[in-house]
Amino acid sequence: MTDNSEHPALRELRRLQPRFSGLESGHRACLGCGEALAARLVTEAAGPDVMYANATGCLEVFTTSWPESSWRVPWMHSLFENSAAIGAGMEAALKSQGKATRVIAMGGDGGTFDIGFQALSGMLERGHNMLYVCFDNEAYMNTGIQRSGSTPHAAATTTSPSGKLRMGKRHLKKDIVSIVAAHHIPYAATASVAYPSDIRKKVRRALGIDGPTFLHIHSPCPLGWGHDGSLSIEVARLAVQTGLFPVIELERGRLAGVMPIRSPHPVTEYLALQTRFRHLFADDERAREELEHLQALADHNIETYRLSGNLADNRDSEGSDTVRRGGMRWA
Amino acid sequence: MGLKLTRGAFAHPGSSLRYHTGSWRMQRPTHQHRAAPCHTACPAGEDAQAWLALVEDERFREAWENLVRVNPLPAITGRVCHHPCEHACNRGQYDEPIAIHHVERWLGDRALQEGWDYPAPVTAPHQETVAVVGAGPAGCSAAWHLRQQGYTVHLYETRPLAGGLLRSALPPYRLPRDVLDGELERLLAMGIEFRSGQQLGRDFSLAELHEEYPAVMIAPGTQRNRHWDIDGATPHDLHVGLSLLQRWIDVGTIPEWNSVAIVGGGNSAIDLARVIRHTSGAEVHVITHQSLPRDGATPVDVMPAIAREIEQALEEGVIIHQHRGVQRLVLRGEQVVGLELVHRKEMLDSTNGKRHVSFEGTESLLHVEQVIPTIGQEVDPAGMEVLLDHAAFLHADAQGHIAGHPGIYTGGDARGDRGSVSAAIGDGRRAALAIAHDLQHLEGDANGVEIVPIRFDQLNINYFEPRRAAVAPVVPVTERTAEIEVTGTLHRNEAIAEGQRCLSCGNCMSCDNCWTLCPDVAVLKTRDAEPGYVFDYDYCKGCGLCAHECPTAYIVMENEP
Repeated sequence: MTDNSEHPALRELRRLQPRFSGLESGHRACLGCGEALAARLVTEAAGPDVMYANATGCLEVFTTSWPESSWRVPWMHSLFENSAAIGAGMEAALKSQGKATRVIAMGGDGGTFDIGFQALSGMLERGHNMLYVCFDNEAYMNTGIQRSGSTPHAAATTTSPSGKLRMGKRHLKKDIVSIVAAHHIPYAATASVAYPSDIRKKVRRALGIDGPTFLHIHSPCPLGWGHDGSLSIEVARLAVQTGLFPVIELERGRLAGVMPIRSPHPVTEYLALQTRFRHLFADDERAREELEHLQALADHNIETYRLSGNLADNRDSEGSDTVRRGGMRWA
Repeated sequence: MGLKLTRGAFAHPGSSLRYHTGSWRMQRPTHQHRAAPCHTACPAGEDAQAWLALVEDERFREAWENLVRVNPLPAITGRVCHHPCEHACNRGQYDEPIAIHHVERWLGDRALQEGWDYPAPVTAPHQETVAVVGAGPAGCSAAWHLRQQGYTVHLYETRPLAGGLLRSALPPYRLPRDVLDGELERLLAMGIEFRSGQQLGRDFSLAELHEEYPAVMIAPGTQRNRHWDIDGATPHDLHVGLSLLQRWIDVGTIPEWNSVAIVGGGNSAIDLARVIRHTSGAEVHVITHQSLPRDGATPVDVMPAIAREIEQALEEGVIIHQHRGVQRLVLRGEQVVGLELVHRKEMLDSTNGKRHVSFEGTESLLHVEQVIPTIGQEVDPAGMEVLLDHAAFLHADAQGHIAGHPGIYTGGDARGDRGSVSAAIGDGRRAALAIAHDLQHLEGDANGVEIVPIRFDQLNINYFEPRRAAVAPVVPVTERTAEIEVTGTLHRNEAIAEGQRCLSCGNCMSCDNCWTLCPDVAVLKTRDAEPGYVFDYDYCKGCGLCAHECPTAYIVMENEP
């Protein structure tokens, strides 16, 4: 690795960091990018003996500004729609060579929910032994914040603006993890960038399973969601604590585990931090109705997945991120 | 760019490390150790956050050394202090404050059991000798800190033993004698020349001290009872509360009554009430124009006695009449047979001066055999007339300088604006630092600048879990006597658990949050520096995520120059 750092001591210190990091500094992600953090956490948990296929999207663009790369692992850029297919091919090739190297395919919500959906479905159906990770920032951020199948109800994007006729996106967020789990795959899970140890646990779990696995990581986009970059974790945490983004695990299509919510926060706490929901706080009857609608969606999630935790639990929405002197929580 | 393309039109492998995203930055994160509220609230100046962190790490001796570098008497203050640190503790706004005084006491006791020695002086010895007059908490603290600063100390005391009010007015159920003796003997053994039986104004004069020593610390405490009467009337056999208490502690005797009323709301009033309850079982009334400690009361309106002592006194059957004053003594001849009480409060007048207001129509009669004023003391002017200038207390600046008397310093109860053991210990330290500063002709302020503590809303509380505070065992009411210590001590594991509960306000707790959560891998871990993290400003974009997610508000964003 070459760089032109003016601080040789820091360059040496960077080399000596007590963790494997597949994604290095110098990438061009925006300030406070949730996806850049989520991707690095996945590479940390997966370790060095992994090859990556990466769909077109923010992650691909900001990590590979020609002629540089931020990746410290074998990495291949596919088209927008086919990272699952490219990954499946890599897996088949490695299998025929008798190698144990694992394969992870990655895509954003556009490349997973919409454009790359049939390639993903095919890979799952053929039973390739690989992990697919979806970094969900709930719109086409790279091309200018257009709505995707993942954009939540009532969020404003450039193609679902709020105005006289609509209060942001009319439709609902696609329930991708249920659709994926319906392929009867051994493991499909959701996670949030606000809970790094939960991400690591799920990546290791998925890679320990023989067969297709799927991990859906909620990753805030400060630019597209309209919040300060310093609040990315705060926003992601509130998405979980309100019940709008349920953190769950499904094995062979059946619910196998959830991160309970100790005491659900009202959805307005989450929405008020983001300008994409700003129109919901106007003095407007439709806005009040949409706020109630989003609260009902969160309540529905809490009910459906039984997210209500009664007692304090060190694996619930409050206990999962407890810190201790000396950093022991991140094991 | 000077890059060569190969024929296949792919680039030479290049890491993005060559691109410094730090150039985008408008703000930069910095590490800033800021004061925890317990630190700024402590009258003695202890940094409880620092030593609690060491307790959590089970580095007990280092924790104790950190503590005694500020307060040399932790086993004593852990028992008798009113712990304003715990009222200031940010954790009190989350669940319950850290039981700081219990851990302080546990550390102090452990040091006595293990025979730990004080840490070595911080500076090389100086030639000068400094005199300290009065071996109470302020004088002992000053003497100890002067030794730490490398000075020879002559400590003058009227009584045969050191301790001042700690020895003469604190009953053993609050402060066992072996603890008091253990800490004071260890302190005096630090090369302090203790000259007992020497009284200022009788055995030596201020002028002689001035001549012999370049600096003199005057910490005489308050030795004279304040005058008390009701419209000019006093009982013919007037007993003053503190004198009764001191005689009981020294000799073990106290007059027996069936019922008494103690006037006053301070610690001595409560102590005397409990001693009388324990020794004779008499009916004991405490009359105070202030209120019992309760939520929402203004601090000036609350009795100055320590809340837990008041609570224990009530458990033991002491009757406290709050917001009451004595309007008239009911006398048969010169003998007290009762008091006329009236509802009374302290209020501010139009010039913000305090005045006592009695409310007409609220009078009531209380039959008691004796009334005992316990309303506080003032400085005995003998030998110090020139310093007092007819005032009841000595007036000094924050460092203890008495205006117009260079080379003379004071602190503790003699100041009149203090009134706690820990404040006296803090005064001793500040005066010692000021003396060292002045004798060495140093520039600037001896005690640094005022610091603003971290507020609760600056912490990121998401990263902590609720956990109850440790509770020390208390002797059941029926088994209490005036000799046995009422409040017990924590277990070792409970002390460690309190260290774990500490939110570490304003100081790094090495939780790895910044290292884990930086989207730009611009926080690096190191073993070679405190704290264990450095910012790599070549790549930090200044998003502020680390500062927002820092649980302890140790990371602060600053504008780029």
